[in-house]
Amino acid sequence: MADDTLPTCQKTVSVLWPAFLTAGLATILFFTAFDPVVLLQETRFADTSRLGAYSIGFFLFWLLTTLSCAMTCFFRKPCNPK
Amino acid sequence: MANRKSVKTDQADTLIASDTKIYPRAVHGLFAMWRSIGVLILLGIYYIVPWLTWGERQAVLFDLPNRKFHIFGLTFWPQDFFYFAVLLIIAAFALFFFTAIAGRLWCGYACPQTVWTELFMWIARKVEGDRPKQIKLDKMPWNAYKIRIKTTKHFLWLLLAAYTGFTFVGYFTPIDELASRIIELSLGPWEWFWIIFYSFATWGNAGFMREQVCIYMCPYARFQSVMFDNDTLIISYDEERGEPRGSRKRNEDPATKNLGSCIDCTLCVQVCPTGIDIRDGLQYQCIACSACIDVCDDVMDKMGYERGLIKYTTENARQGKSVSLFRPRILVYAVSLIIMSLGLTTAIAMRVPLEVDITRDRTRLFNETDTGLIENTYSLQIINKDESIHQYHITATGIDGMKMSIKSETIEVAAGEVIDIPLRLQVDAYNLKKRSTEIMLSVVSIDNADIRVSEATRFLGPTGRR
Repeated sequence: MADDTLPTCQKTVSVLWPAFLTAGLATILFFTAFDPVVLLQETRFADTSRLGAYSIGFFLFWLLTTLSCAMTCFFRKPCNPK
Repeated sequence: MANRKSVKTDQADTLIASDTKIYPRAVHGLFAMWRSIGVLILLGIYYIVPWLTWGERQAVLFDLPNRKFHIFGLTFWPQDFFYFAVLLIIAAFALFFFTAIAGRLWCGYACPQTVWTELFMWIARKVEGDRPKQIKLDKMPWNAYKIRIKTTKHFLWLLLAAYTGFTFVGYFTPIDELASRIIELSLGPWEWFWIIFYSFATWGNAGFMREQVCIYMCPYARFQSVMFDNDTLIISYDEERGEPRGSRKRNEDPATKNLGSCIDCTLCVQVCPTGIDIRDGLQYQCIACSACIDVCDDVMDKMGYERGLIKYTTENARQGKSVSLFRPRILVYAVSLIIMSLGLTTAIAMRVPLEVDITRDRTRLFNETDTGLIENTYSLQIINKDESIHQYHITATGIDGMKMSIKSETIEVAAGEVIDIPLRLQVDAYNLKKRSTEIMLSVVSIDNADIRVSEATRFLGPTGRR
């Protein structure tokens, strides 16, 4: 692949940035449908504020989407040594 | 459309390609003035809006901690997500519409990346001077002067970035409260976090990343060309008139030196915020800021040549064909925009500020009361989305002789509050025709009959005993 010729900036951004965008979307959709206060009320995280839950939720989504984007890049590596 | 040969391969192997740092030269002219006006208006809106009030509260407040969005007189709840989705689709179509007509108008004049970069570059020029001085300063070894200038610049940048981050969080939690708590240093951890996060994002994006955001990060930049056709406004260098380029004295006739109008002063390259040469043709990096038009017109004036060596034009105009504004795609975008905008406005205007959710008691299908009636139990959730308190009357219809047992005849719900009330319905088994019958529960505001919601649910019982 032509990936070797890409600047590091573009490589890094192409993993983190789409992950950031989709994590933002996921956060909006998820927390529009589910109120974190209701979700957490029976758990030991019941004291978490909504702002805290949204923020942590966003970063967990970002972690997952980053993983997914990074794995896409990983599996795009050519299989043949040539 | 994009001229492939001119797409530079960036060989820099650092996270921020600093060895290709771009120092855009300051530019003055018609389009620079329009951009400044745009920047001032947009920044004004951004910094002022959170301070506006509407009645008792902040006029525009996306109150995430309370799960309510206030926009002037309107309040939106998570259940109103549909409106938000339609609004986003309208915004996307508006972008398509303007792109098809005028190219990357958004990028050059209205994108936050452009707006804040302009502001940051303005500060940098005030502190460090214009392009030649900035280049000289960066090449200079570190000394007291350089440290002082750089510190001043970053201090001003960070101050502005911090205020931007504070304003950003002020859209999500009440800004006057936020301001007083920031002075007392009593913000919650997440408020601190987001203010700092957004401040650093502003500092990084507008101070350092700049054109790399447009080139590497912007999805719109990648697909905007599909909205282009031969009648879309683009910024273009008149190759036929300009070439062969070359330097000459002001009073020399270019024809005698066999030269075109381009004097090869490279000012169009020096003012370009993405560092491209517009003379190489239309390129994907071009954000259509028209800085090159302004600077080239200036040069043409000085040389006594006609303006417009670089200008806004369209592919058809360049080839001498007729230009049409009303192309099918423009009409499709325009009609879709009008229909969706009207639909959204009507839907919001006709919105009933009341929401009712009914859940059947799932533990038992039905009861038989002491008097032999069949009874179903429900839980009724009433959300008063209005700005004022309301009393509601509840009625149930669908089965003859249905009786309702509820704690009081009228239910009072304060503005913006949610209440849950248990409700029991009783029916004589002789009136039941089926095991499961659809019934209607209606909740009507006593002071305003327009505020009414009817929800269907089911009444279960043994088969009718007729």
